[in-house]
This record gives sequence, C-alpha cells and structure tokens, in this order.
Amino acid sequence: MNMFTLRAARRALAVAALLAVQPALSHAGTYTLTVDPVTIDTGDFKKTGIGYNGASPGPVLKFQEGEDVTINVTNNLKEETSIHWHGLILPFQMDGVPDISFPGIAPGETFTYRFPVVQSGTYWFHSHSGFQEPDGAYGAIVITPKKREPFKVDRDYVVQFTDKHPHSGARIMRNLKQAPDYYNREQQTVGDFFSDARKNGLSAALDDRMAWGSMRMMATDIEDVQGFTPLINGKGPDQNWTALFKPGERVRLRFINSSAMTYFDVRIPGLKMTVVAADGNLVQPVPVDEFRIGVAETYDVIVRPQEDKAYTLFAQSMGRTAFARGTLAPRPGMTAPVPDMGDSPLLTMADMGMDHGSMAGMDHSTMQKEDPAEMQGMNHGKTMNHGTMNHDDMKQGTMKQGGMDHSKMPSGGMNHGSMNHGDMKQDTLKQGGMDHGKMPSGGMNHGSMNHGSMQTQDPFYAAGSGLTPTPSEGQGKFLSYSDLKAQRPLYKDREATREIELRLTGNMERYIWSINGVKYEDADPIRLQYGERVRFKFVNETMMTHPMHLHGMWSILDVGAEKWDPVKHTISIAPGTTVYSETEVDATGQWAFHCHLSYHAAAGMFRKIIVEGGPDNTADITPLKGAIQ
Amino acid sequence: MRKLNFTLSSMAACLVAATVTLTSFQALSAGSHAGGHGGASAIGEPGDAAKVSRTVEIRMFDNYYEPENITVSKGETVRFKVINAGEFVHEFNIGTTLSHADHQKEMMMMMEHGVLEADKINRDKMKMDMGNGMTMDHSDPNSVLLEPGESAEIIWHFSGDKDLEFACNVPGHYDSGMMGDVRIN
Repeated sequence: MNMFTLRAARRALAVAALLAVQPALSHAGTYTLTVDPVTIDTGDFKKTGIGYNGASPGPVLKFQEGEDVTINVTNNLKEETSIHWHGLILPFQMDGVPDISFPGIAPGETFTYRFPVVQSGTYWFHSHSGFQEPDGAYGAIVITPKKREPFKVDRDYVVQFTDKHPHSGARIMRNLKQAPDYYNREQQTVGDFFSDARKNGLSAALDDRMAWGSMRMMATDIEDVQGFTPLINGKGPDQNWTALFKPGERVRLRFINSSAMTYFDVRIPGLKMTVVAADGNLVQPVPVDEFRIGVAETYDVIVRPQEDKAYTLFAQSMGRTAFARGTLAPRPGMTAPVPDMGDSPLLTMADMGMDHGSMAGMDHSTMQKEDPAEMQGMNHGKTMNHGTMNHDDMKQGTMKQGGMDHSKMPSGGMNHGSMNHGDMKQDTLKQGGMDHGKMPSGGMNHGSMNHGSMQTQDPFYAAGSGLTPTPSEGQGKFLSYSDLKAQRPLYKDREATREIELRLTGNMERYIWSINGVKYEDADPIRLQYGERVRFKFVNETMMTHPMHLHGMWSILDVGAEKWDPVKHTISIAPGTTVYSETEVDATGQWAFHCHLSYHAAAGMFRKIIVEGGPDNTADITPLKGAIQ
Repeated sequence: MRKLNFTLSSMAACLVAATVTLTSFQALSAGSHAGGHGGASAIGEPGDAAKVSRTVEIRMFDNYYEPENITVSKGETVRFKVINAGEFVHEFNIGTTLSHADHQKEMMMMMEHGVLEADKINRDKMKMDMGNGMTMDHSDPNSVLLEPGESAEIIWHFSGDKDLEFACNVPGHYDSGMMGDVRIN
C-alpha cells in the first residue's frame, strides 16, 4: 500500500466515523482565509492594501443556518491581525476583537475560528485590528436560512460598499489628530463652527436662530474624511460593477456598507426597491425609492426590472462628495445614464442640538374657532371647518394632535375641503390616537385635500436637520428607520429592566470621540447582567452621525412598533437626536460596543461590555488589557 | 348586476364570524375602489356554484402562496378555498399585473389610514368616507383579504383567454414575490 492509498483509506475511515457520529443533515464546513497584502485598483488610483485570499474585498463566505463552521485564518502580514464576524451571534472568544475576545493573530500564525451558525441573512466580516479594515480587510457573509424566506427571487447579488482612500488608515488618523479639518476640502472648518457657536449660538433668540439658519455650513462638515473613491464590490464608478438580469426577474441585492466613514444614499432610477431585511434580519417588506445605509449596516432589497435595458445603481455619499456606481443590465457592457449628485446638504442648528423648535412661523391666523395652543386633546364636538386653514409657512413647529377625538361629531361632518398643506416641510405631524371610529354618519371629506409636497418628518432626524433624507428624484419614498418592522421578532416584547444613558460626545478640535465625555482608554467597562433587558438611550451631542455597533447581542431598535420593533446590530444616531435600543442580555462574556466610523472608534468612542452571570460563565473571562487596536 | 358567491368556509367560520361582517363583502363594488380593475371580462367573473369543476386550495403563508401557480381551462369555473396560514394579513386577488398595480396603491392607502395593519384588518374603518363617495371597503368579488387564521371561498369563472396573476397586494408583498401565474389553457 503506497502513501496515497493509505491516506485515502484513512480519510475514508475518518469520513465514516464522522458520518456515524453526526446527525444526517447537519453541515460542518471548513473554510480557509489568508490575510494578504494586496493591490487595490479603484480606477482613480492604485494602492497597496490588505485583503483576503489575495483580493480586496475578500470572498463571499456562504454559510448555512445550523452549520458548524471552522474557519482557518492565516496571517501573511507583518503585523497582528484579527477577523470579526460582523452581526454574527457566537461565543465571545470567536468574536475576533483583539484584547477583548482573544489575543489577536500574530504574523505567520493560523487561528482557527469554530462556531455554530445560528442565524441567516446578509452580514460581513472585517479585521478589528488597527486600520486594516479601511485598508481593505473586509468581505461579505451570506447565510442561507433553514426555513423558506418570505419572498421569491430569481437572482441574488452582494453589493458591498467601501470608501477607498488613497491614504492608509494610519496616515488618515495621524492627519486627523493633527488637524481635524485635514480632509475637509472647504475653507470653513468644523472648529470655526464650534467657536462661532460659542460666541453667538447660545443666546438662542429667534433672531439669532434666523442668523444661524442662514449660516452656510460647508457641506464638507458632514464627512470627516473626503477624497475617497466609493467602490462596489471593489470596483470604482468607472469600473462599473454590473449585475445581470432577465427582464421580469426578481433580483435580490444584499447591500453592505463596509466603509470606514461614509454613509450612502442609494437608489436605482426607474426601479422601486422593496426592503426585505435590515442587518440580516427580515423586515416586513417596504417599497421605497431610496434608502440611506449607515456604516456597517446591511439592507436586502428586491427589485424587478421589467424592461430590456440597463439601470444605474447610484449611491451618493451623505455629504455628496462622491458616489458609487454600478449597473443592473440584461447583458454585460450595457450602461444607463449616471445622475448628477444632489446639492450638498447643509448642517443646521438642529444638527447641533440647539433648535428648540418654537411654533414661530406657523400661521393659524385664518383658522376659525380653534385655538392653536389647545390642539392637544382637541375636541371636535361641533362641525369643524378647516376650509381656510393655511399651513403654508409652517416650518419649525411640532404640531401634535395627540388624542384628537372626533367621536362626538354629530352629523355635519368635517370638511377638509381646501386645506392646503403645500410647503410643509420639517414638521413632526403626529396624529397619534386619532379616532374616527365612532363618527356616526357625516363622514370625513378629504376630497380635495392637498398634501402637495408634504414630507412627514423622519423622527430619526432632528426637526430642521440638514441631514434629513429627501428623495433625490423630488418625489417618492425614502426609507426611514420608522418603516422597519420585524417580520419575525426574535424576542418577546417586554419592559426593559433598566436604562443606560450613553451620550455620544466629542471634542472635534482634538479629534477625540467619546461616550459620556470619556474616551475608551479612560473608561470602565459597562457591566450587564445575564438575563436582563437593557434599554440604551443614545443621546447624540455631536454634529456627526454615529453608527453604534454592539457585538454579540442584538439591538432592538425602538421605532415605536413594540413587538414589531426591528432587530439590528448597528444603530445610527443622527446629530441632535435621542434614539433608544433594547438588548436582551443573552450572551455571556466580554464584547465590544463602539461607533463603527473607523476613526471615531480609534479616537475613543468605544466601550467594553462585560456580561456577568449566565449559564456558560465559567471564569473564562480574561481581564485582557489594552486598547482596541 | 353580478351575483356574488362569497361565503365563509365552515371550518373557519367559528373563528371569524364575529369579526367579519358578510355585508362588507356583499357590498356591490360599483362605488367602491373595486371599480374596473382592468375589465371584468378579461379576468373572468364570479362563477355559479353549480358549475364548479373542482376546488383548489390556496394556502397563504408569510409572504407566499402554496401552490405558487395555477392552471385552468378557458371557461372553467373553479372554487378557490383560501386559507391564511400565516401571521400577517394576506390577500388572494385574481387579476392582471396592471389591476394589481392599481390595487396596491389602494391597499397602501388602507395601511396609511389604519384600515390595514400588518396582522389585523380594521373592518369597521373600511366604511369611512374618503371623499368623493370613496370608501376603503374591500369588497371586490375577485379577491379576499384575510386576517391570520381566517379562510374564505371564491368561485370564479375564467371566461377570458389571457393568462392572469393571482396576488397579494398588501404593501410590499407583491413586490417581494407573493404572486403567482394563472395559466389559461
């Protein structure tokens, strides 16, 4: 018997032994990843970076729900590395954060990750060491579910964004530390804005606010780091990543934002997109024209191109300094017009958290019988005439009609005939609890009610925020967090057992980003008890948008949908807003919790979470010291 | 005036009798949003129970049908026994791509006005006058809209010869694939 057949015989024996032990249908896949120096060509520039299996982005890892995966990661770099499986629920030792989950992977070493895959959907992986992720160390994960999905698609593509910069991550961080406006290409800096605010802003009179309103903040203040080329699956706008389809097919696009710093507003002119998953978890389908994807988030959408023509996939950065572009086409090489980028949004006082939203400018002067001050709990006992109600110039008010009771309206009916909501733009129009149920006969006539350009204020942006998303095509539906409702809630809804306030704070001039004013290296870990349900209150006191990512446990985003609240791994908090998410503390160990903007995390907007107690807590939590990097 | 054959199936009647008012389904569609829906003759018309050649059971899950395609012969009268086996509201609607697209706008409006919730139909709100005599009554003879656990029957005469689609026009459901082909032989 020669060596070959001996080996083959051994393998056959091993396979037989394995089959004897394993239940028939379980999967146990072994995967190999090498971490390699690579060259990244964006079409605009070529740059040395880091990739997996010789390329950036790395491969799409395809797992099955229920599979036990073994992933051998070999570090071919001259520095330490690590891989974090973003959004996956797994034992904390496998989470891949150096100094929190494990010691990291030394040069030349192979580390073996082993964990059961307990979920399905679209996720991604990336290095959690230094600035390797912005340097190219990322890839996608697609997990096939056990159960049939609540939709039907003919094709399936990963669309992974990044914001590739000609400078290395380490160099960008050095430059930001020395001059936070280094990558702001306009003259006015964020520092100027802060000092102006100190000088003038806090007097906060209406006149001042008008002055602030007209202050032209530079668009570039929205993005710390500009000068990048957005890529789709590693391809720059001119390299035009293309997905093929046959007209009439349903195409699933798995969007992943693996950028270091950049949010994208995504649309495909001519196609409606139906959002069916967020951060890997199914949501009740929402048809939209456009959506904003925060750093580290994922969204699955379904499109159904009917025509035999090309469609442009267009993703412009939130600060409108660059765009990613790809194409959906029936045949390779086809292209469609590429839209111009929209105007740069302007940050406002609202984004500084200083807009106190007075009712000023709201013109109720021609409204009959009603006192605007008493709209809360308004009783419409008598026939109500809204005929000449003019909401034209209502700009900064928060109009609440909570508990509006129409039940006693006897007969006359309510005439909203010529109600003009023409230019209502930034108001929070809430009609909570408006009950028309008991209206006996007259009925409500909304006949010629004109809602012209009314856009409901997205409650996840400060009223008056310059960042509030609006449809680029002038009309249509822009996805809001409020639209996300879980398709299959993962947890039973219950009251949180306690609340933890996390103020997102920063000192722009020194490029320090922090939580509750304390940066990571000076902060104590956050201690959670296994079995509790914690309500995190994020208060964004900065003028940047922060995508907060909790490792190891889900974040149930409070959109007010109670049991249908969506389950995410990354929660974006816009300037001047307070957002709540709840976490069922069901994973023992120690975990990272941080802003996913690479340079904010590195600058200190980061915490270690320690989960105490729980079934598996066998003193395995090593108090590893040191910073994130 | 068309004769409507719409009855609650006996197996589910106990579940829904209290909440589903038959009158909401018996209402004639002339004034409601049922409107034209692409022309009744093209999609067929309510059928005569005596002429039913077979019964097809349609189970509605989240968010798909079983079966996903149906084949009928031209002129055939089929009894559809529609069961909502999912946890969300679903519709079974026989029509064309265009009629479904129109109906999706109406159902979006129903959702925006609270008539329709993900897992609940507020049938009492369907009669609300939306102005111009419009209501959000969901009473088309070619469709049933069911809460989780409910079931219903449609008897349909396929008189046309063009292929049709059956679909759920609850917002987002059609777009994500809750539809199937009705092939006419």
